[in-house]
Amino acid sequence: MGGFFSIIKYDYLQRTRSYAFLLTLCASLVIAYSFIPGPDANYYTIRIANHVGVYNSAWLAYVTAIMASVFISLLGFYLINSNIKKDIDTGIGQIIGSTQIKNVYYLLAKTLSNFLLLGTLLGIVFLVSILLFFVYNDGFDFELITFVKAYLLIPVPMLFLTSVLAVVFEVLLVRYSVLQNIGFFLLFSALLTSGAFTETQFAFDVFGTKIVMHEMEESVRTLTGQQEEIDMSIGYVLSDSKDTNGFIFNGLDFPTSFIISRVLWSVLGLIVLFLIAPFFHRFKVRQKLRTLSKKKTLSTSKGMNELELLSMPKPPTNYSILPLIKMEFWMLIKQGSKWLWLLNITGIILLIMLPLKLSHQMILPALWFLQVGRLSSLSTKEITNNAHYFAFTAYKPLSRLLLSQLVAAIILLLLIAAPLIIRLGIQVEIEEILSIILGSILIVSLAVVLGIASKGKKLFEVLFFLITYANLNKILILDYFGGMPHNSYYLMNLLLLSIPLLLLSFIMRKKELRNY
Amino acid sequence: MILEIQGVSKRYNKNKYGLRDFSLKIEKGILGLLGPNGAGKSTLLKMIATLSKPTTGIISLNKNNIVKDADFMRRRIGFLPQDFGVYPNLNAYEFLEYLAAMKGIGGKGIRSRITQLLEGVNLMEAAHRPIGSYSGGMKQRIGIAQALLNKPKVLIFDEPTVGLDPEERLRFRNLITDLANDCIVILSSHIVSDIDSIANKVAVMKEGGLLHYGSQAEIIEQVEGKVFEEMIAPEDLSAFKVDHLLVSTTRKEGQILVRFITEKPTRQCIEKTPSLEDAYLFLTQKSFKNI
Repeated sequence: MGGFFSIIKYDYLQRTRSYAFLLTLCASLVIAYSFIPGPDANYYTIRIANHVGVYNSAWLAYVTAIMASVFISLLGFYLINSNIKKDIDTGIGQIIGSTQIKNVYYLLAKTLSNFLLLGTLLGIVFLVSILLFFVYNDGFDFELITFVKAYLLIPVPMLFLTSVLAVVFEVLLVRYSVLQNIGFFLLFSALLTSGAFTETQFAFDVFGTKIVMHEMEESVRTLTGQQEEIDMSIGYVLSDSKDTNGFIFNGLDFPTSFIISRVLWSVLGLIVLFLIAPFFHRFKVRQKLRTLSKKKTLSTSKGMNELELLSMPKPPTNYSILPLIKMEFWMLIKQGSKWLWLLNITGIILLIMLPLKLSHQMILPALWFLQVGRLSSLSTKEITNNAHYFAFTAYKPLSRLLLSQLVAAIILLLLIAAPLIIRLGIQVEIEEILSIILGSILIVSLAVVLGIASKGKKLFEVLFFLITYANLNKILILDYFGGMPHNSYYLMNLLLLSIPLLLLSFIMRKKELRNY
Repeated sequence: MILEIQGVSKRYNKNKYGLRDFSLKIEKGILGLLGPNGAGKSTLLKMIATLSKPTTGIISLNKNNIVKDADFMRRRIGFLPQDFGVYPNLNAYEFLEYLAAMKGIGGKGIRSRITQLLEGVNLMEAAHRPIGSYSGGMKQRIGIAQALLNKPKVLIFDEPTVGLDPEERLRFRNLITDLANDCIVILSSHIVSDIDSIANKVAVMKEGGLLHYGSQAEIIEQVEGKVFEEMIAPEDLSAFKVDHLLVSTTRKEGQILVRFITEKPTRQCIEKTPSLEDAYLFLTQKSFKNI
């Protein structure tokens, strides 16, 4: 049993002792802070009709707990869903596979390590929510028990289930990480949008949020006497805080059935783990995949021939950047599975077929997000493939190699957006075309900067997901491709963001080269 | 062609040095770099390859300071690192074309050069398969091919024979001997036999410093009259190890033939002709054995 806990402990330590995790913690602080809008903020996170709760313990505890349950589970999945893959990639899995550890113990250890990681993020949100109570002090009593109760019953079981799901997806879909991501997102969306109105239905709400939202709705209904359906929203929605009225939310006493259901959800997670354990590949992945694709490790019995170096032609010099751009572009194209290109082509066709506004606002950000794997590996592939020995000793690694990587990725994004750009060109929408071009530069530079800073892909992937989520929810401030109407300074703002990011990518790569 | 390393140090923190005040002048031919793990061989090679910068000191190639002007070296270098990786989705042609573009070579002739190199390392059959599916030896061979892409003037091989079978090692040694007529070859290895048959000069490193530098004969001279062999009983081996610097042991008819280095031979032992391996062990371990 000691060994089991050691796996959890060291797996957790391995994942948290990284610069990327430090950056994730910082991002969690910012996100947690944003859960409760300040008095002058121009957005809200939870609103019932035009009512927002006064900042007492119950409102802060339940709002942050609801937001944590939804957002940490969504974003957290993308942070934790490569835990087993890491063991495959590092070769540690080969060692684990040859030990006595039972499948179910290994999967449970991975689940608990995932849960600890998400729990750390939740802990930060919890502490920030308490801190915010004192910062926005409205003269209400601080009730620690309200915070603890809300967090224990709402996000904790959801995060445990997310941890289980990450392991389940990794076991069943092995290396198809894009399919795992999309699968989880679809499941998440379906669960989030399902309705619950009775005590029994609340027990089936995996997020544990609907019962609280219902209680909030009832509080507003009592206050206003309104009988018809009340408009409620969770998420980041822009609005002037002066347009809202305050109401007192005192929390709720959870029914026993709900409390039991929260425990049962966790138990269900454990049962699922036990059920999938026999299907765990136990790191026979390479052989398995090769059998499927009928490929095998190539090994020629014949070794090196005699190399006649003197008879070889002198290699022609060519310091042009074009061959590098061509190769970088080719590498971007080759990356990822073929069916992802099917999705891309579908998206490109939709860019042609759908109304212009819809294409620009919804299809383009989604289509660009499909390239997340390509963009996140743009400046990290050298390190992750251990090929930095070649890349960092290339001739002019900044002005040739890095530049070619940036240019190739921008070309890729613009080619994907080409049908939209042509349609906008026909209507002489120059400003929107410029927005798309600057947007592609901005997102590619961001990918490079975050990749170099974190020495990994995750940070950009999670952030890009968040930005795309915001884009699809029409949050103006995160529209980086001109999908929504903006003021006349918009292009200038995009330029002012893109150019420093572009410069920063060169500065950071230069620093990376110097300190390697 | 002269590569000069002058007073080079690499400091990681206040008390930890990867290399300390290291100086060496390398001319055309093969330099064998020997040293135990942690001696600083890879640190030195990375600095010569411009992958890392020295904390202090100068590295120059034909009087050009490559610490300041790294691109001067990058145009002329071929580097085969230890434990290098590849881009698994690319095939051999694409990988070499990509690295050729990185090195600043290209145009019409590059395709035929790549073909010749792939034929030379016997990877033509697998040239259109993703490198991710290659065996360890094949990856090592493509590593050798990339190092030769630009007809380098300075060739650095860090543990190059890892993954190669005995026949391939022999061919690789022949290849290096050919190359050394026209350029500087620095060959780092744990395997003394990889170096002793071909290196013109040998540098022995330890704990970030240079222990000895010279021709093989000069290095072997250090153990002249100190290498002996003797038959001992198996049960005496442990005690023998404590008092002697052991080079090798061979089982023979229930007894053990030990080869060792000492300055105070006993009457039963027989003096032997020293080899580079004897000298290497003597130089790197004599302080431990108090010889």
